[in-house]
Amino acid sequence: MPGEQCPPPEAVRRARRDDAGVTETTVILLLVVVTALGFDFTNGFHDTANAMATSIATGALRPKVAVLLSAVLNLVGAFLSVEVALTVTNAVIRIQNSDGTPKPDLIADGGSALLLIVLAGVIGGILWNLLTWLLGLPSSSSHALFGGLIGAAIAGLGWSGVNWSGNGEKLDGVLGKVVLPALMSPVIAGAVAAAGTWIVYRITVGVAAKFTDNGFRWGQIGSASLVSLAHGTNDAQKTMGVITLALIASGEWSDTGNIPLWVKISCALAIALGTYLGGWRIIRTLGKGLVEIAPPQGLAAESAAAAVILSSSHLGFALSTTHVATGSILGSGVGRPGAKVRWAVAGRMVTAWLITLPAAAVTGALMWFVADLIGGAGGAALIFAALLGLAGYMWLHSRKAPVNHDNVNDEWEAPVGSAV
Amino acid sequence: MNNLMLALDGAWKVLATSLILGAGLPALFAAGVRSLASRRTAPLGYLCFAVVLIGVGLGITFIVASGFGKELNFDNVYPTVVDKG
Repeated sequence: MPGEQCPPPEAVRRARRDDAGVTETTVILLLVVVTALGFDFTNGFHDTANAMATSIATGALRPKVAVLLSAVLNLVGAFLSVEVALTVTNAVIRIQNSDGTPKPDLIADGGSALLLIVLAGVIGGILWNLLTWLLGLPSSSSHALFGGLIGAAIAGLGWSGVNWSGNGEKLDGVLGKVVLPALMSPVIAGAVAAAGTWIVYRITVGVAAKFTDNGFRWGQIGSASLVSLAHGTNDAQKTMGVITLALIASGEWSDTGNIPLWVKISCALAIALGTYLGGWRIIRTLGKGLVEIAPPQGLAAESAAAAVILSSSHLGFALSTTHVATGSILGSGVGRPGAKVRWAVAGRMVTAWLITLPAAAVTGALMWFVADLIGGAGGAALIFAALLGLAGYMWLHSRKAPVNHDNVNDEWEAPVGSAV
Repeated sequence: MNNLMLALDGAWKVLATSLILGAGLPALFAAGVRSLASRRTAPLGYLCFAVVLIGVGLGITFIVASGFGKELNFDNVYPTVVDKG
């Protein structure tokens, strides 16, 4: 019931222990944790390209070394982010109070109503991440997660379950936290990278390649490392927040000021492993497909990305690493005298950005309806099985035209991993 | 509408900061690379790299500090780490 008082957590926990629904909630909770870690893993490999595509394309780092470096920095970054990200869902949906505790009416049944929304939402996010990976499109993992959660919340709670535009006091809601930053951040990053590339070329005009190549190699590695580190601190937090929310909703955790250590460790490992796996299809699109990248461009693009990501999180301006990195690479192509930008590839990418949120939302909503139809742990298990089946299908499909560390840098015009 | 104004307000700040750090530091780096190409100007090159390294150091400090609920404060011109306010 809305307006019902939230009972003290101790009483809730005791009441739940006696409840026959406990095992059911436990099953759903387990599925949520596994699925959220799965999302974190796809988040890792989907975003390896943001930091490393330029260094791989210019040969500054060998592909395997690049993904290893990025993975280690993501791992370190994930542990650095001790700031509690428990209220991560509040930006877009209304299933939590402002202090991070779940809404009382959603946990009245032992937590499964809230868990089901989260599960369906995260599954929607994973499926969209996998599809765009299969197509080699660098779409935003944060948008996929938010989209999935929005869809599941609409399905489960109606339109009022979504925080569309906040209360107007600060940037908030789907509009302020997702849509507006998504429109602005690639443009800002692109402008900065274009300016950086142009000026770097102006300064080094006429300098022998033996001096510039080695210099810019280190510049690229340094700037790409910063982007990796920032990514680890930003993105791993989101999954940690989602898992902790699920634990609180099912009565397994009550401290809203801290995240369980095992959650932190498992999320950090999941995103690092994903990064190490390397989303080679996306790396290829960003490194070879969009523009031909020369070392000074790589430096300018990653520096612009790092600067935009860091300054915007400092100013509380939420954004997607993917949008920033892609805008930067595009900008570095615009800023380099005589460089060719493949606008057709850029157009496909922008289309993917635009439909990521609604597509993940539709998937999340669909998953919630299916789960709700069966209900309880059975419904949750069914959509989990659907996730496994679809993920397996997409993985098998990707084997038909594999892209890996051997062919990631092949000439674009005869694509090895041509999109479906 | 309010969201749009807030976003534009944030956007120009991000643009200004990023132009200085994200385009300025690479420019300085390029100047360093150029200076190192000639023995006469090499010391200048090392100076450029030193400034770039300080910039990167600040970036890393910022990431680490914000992870621990702190932030960099530039009120005293030189940066200090303070509690997030």
